[in-house]
Amino acid sequence: MITKFQVAYRNLLRKKMRTLLTLVGIMLSSWVLVSLLGFNRGYERSLNHDIENMGYQLMVMAKGCPYEAATMMLQGGTGLRYIDQTMVDSIAKEPEVDKITPILMQAFFDPNKGDGGGIAGYYGVDPATFPGMKPFFRFRQGGWFRDETAAEAVMGYEAAELEQREVGDMIIVPEKNVTLKVVGILERTGTQDDGTIFVPLKTLQKIAATDKITTIGIKLKKDADSAKLEAELYKLPDVQVVSFTQVKQTIMKLISTARVMVFSVAVIAILIAMVGVVNTILMSVLEQQQEIGILKTMGAMPGDIFRLVWTETLIFCGCGGVAGIGLAFVLARMTDILMRRILPYAPGGGLVAIDLRLALLTLTVIVTVGLASGIYPAWKAGRVRPLESIRSDGR
Amino acid sequence: MTGPESKIWGSMEDSATSAAKRQRTLAGGLICCAVFLFLLALAAPTLAAVNCELNNPSSDVPRLFPESTSFKTVYFSFAQRGGDPLLRKVEARLGGVPTLYAPLNVPYTLYEVYKGKKKVGYVHGVNQKGQFGVLEVFVSLDMDGTIKAFYIQRMAGPWAKKFTSPRFGKQFVGLSLKDFERYDTVSGKGSGKVAAIANPAPEAATDFFGLLRAVKKNLVLMDEFFYSAER
Repeated sequence: MITKFQVAYRNLLRKKMRTLLTLVGIMLSSWVLVSLLGFNRGYERSLNHDIENMGYQLMVMAKGCPYEAATMMLQGGTGLRYIDQTMVDSIAKEPEVDKITPILMQAFFDPNKGDGGGIAGYYGVDPATFPGMKPFFRFRQGGWFRDETAAEAVMGYEAAELEQREVGDMIIVPEKNVTLKVVGILERTGTQDDGTIFVPLKTLQKIAATDKITTIGIKLKKDADSAKLEAELYKLPDVQVVSFTQVKQTIMKLISTARVMVFSVAVIAILIAMVGVVNTILMSVLEQQQEIGILKTMGAMPGDIFRLVWTETLIFCGCGGVAGIGLAFVLARMTDILMRRILPYAPGGGLVAIDLRLALLTLTVIVTVGLASGIYPAWKAGRVRPLESIRSDGR
Repeated sequence: MTGPESKIWGSMEDSATSAAKRQRTLAGGLICCAVFLFLLALAAPTLAAVNCELNNPSSDVPRLFPESTSFKTVYFSFAQRGGDPLLRKVEARLGGVPTLYAPLNVPYTLYEVYKGKKKVGYVHGVNQKGQFGVLEVFVSLDMDGTIKAFYIQRMAGPWAKKFTSPRFGKQFVGLSLKDFERYDTVSGKGSGKVAAIANPAPEAATDFFGLLRAVKKNLVLMDEFFYSAER
């Protein structure tokens, strides 16, 4: 016995090219939809991961635009704004603070880097407090510094790869010609730490001839009131506070505009695909009016015809949706690369996170919208008058 | 809907399938598979690896190859060609020292140099471990594999200027892989033109031999990937 699905399936095979093109339309629209939903989720997850991997939720630095500070660093580190290290002790007393670490970022001009020279950046960290901020660090080789004044360096994976360094090798601080021994190389973290060269804070202060620092990293206690601490920190003279929650919100706001536009495109793509479905099914109904008429004369009720035509829509949307989701899974990596090229800032890790739940959600949306758009052709097929359609001679 | 009506509907469908149709379907399936595999290849994860590229190719290539009128950037890797056996072969030709941070997928950048429409040579660079950091060493080569220019893009250390001076670089001009085959860049023993290259900073022996190894690596890679194939 032939089932309704078999009949609908065979019916679709009558016009293979038309069916294929309609399926491709649905497949592409569901690919776009699931990829965008996956991007929405993946981007936020990666951003959270990046922020969590900073190790601290608040950063205190000298007043002034951080971009200005970064520019000055790139120009040779001469104009960096410093803060007094004693500030660390006063902030540590705040009840919301779980851990705190002083940091000195320093850049030196390397005249032998390329033709015009280049900048080499170093990150002075306190061996006593900084490793506690980054408990997720894993060493590929070696470990942390032996003591707080050691002439040693720990390199992020990419920094070591770029400089072709192994544990036991030496690096030289340009401008100052101070040599440091590489004692540790980190595993990849997928964050900016991969390209960083860490040096004991006191060693870097000695090299840079300063007793100050540029940044204080603060990790909050669980359930601590971040806003309250920020307000307290702003009472300190000439400092500015950067909260990573704010940073995240700012980035998400920037992204949200683009996201709305891209979602609009996805909605339009789905609508176009559905218009294609309506067109295909309607054409099919018009072409088969005689067959529908014969069925009716044999006792098929309008409901039977309606369900039969609706089944065709279901097959279209189900197959197209599944193919599109499969395509999205296969091309997730490529979508990731494309997104990274387009976006001004992209966090580490996978930007497109597609899972089974998301796939089912997309399939539900595609099938629901498809079935809704299949109502009119199915209703039209159900209303076909048997005798008129048989007499129509296929016209 | 079941019963006679569905049988009638079913009988109305076109059931004839000829051999030609099957062939067309097969060809269509093969095309779909090829497209799918192509998309899969595009989607394959690209692991990060550090290659050696010119900082400013548009000005560096004409400087290293003055008669050039244009250039094309191409990429090659061990993963694309001979895989692990080829990497081992190249390492053996370089004295058996394992290459540091050079996975099979590391993309080597090659600048193909043209004079008009005619390819006249190559500019190619490699990373080599130096005393205080990486040595980024480029050579420009004519179509016979003879060095036309030598360029150190990156080197760390107080003696770097001595090595980046034109006087030191000129010693490499005119050398080819044959000259390097008579000299062991690992032990520093050998004879010929390479052995005659003077070290301008005796305190920087690691960097000096690193530079010689870098040039040999450059020539061996070019030989394995291009000159051998072109012969």
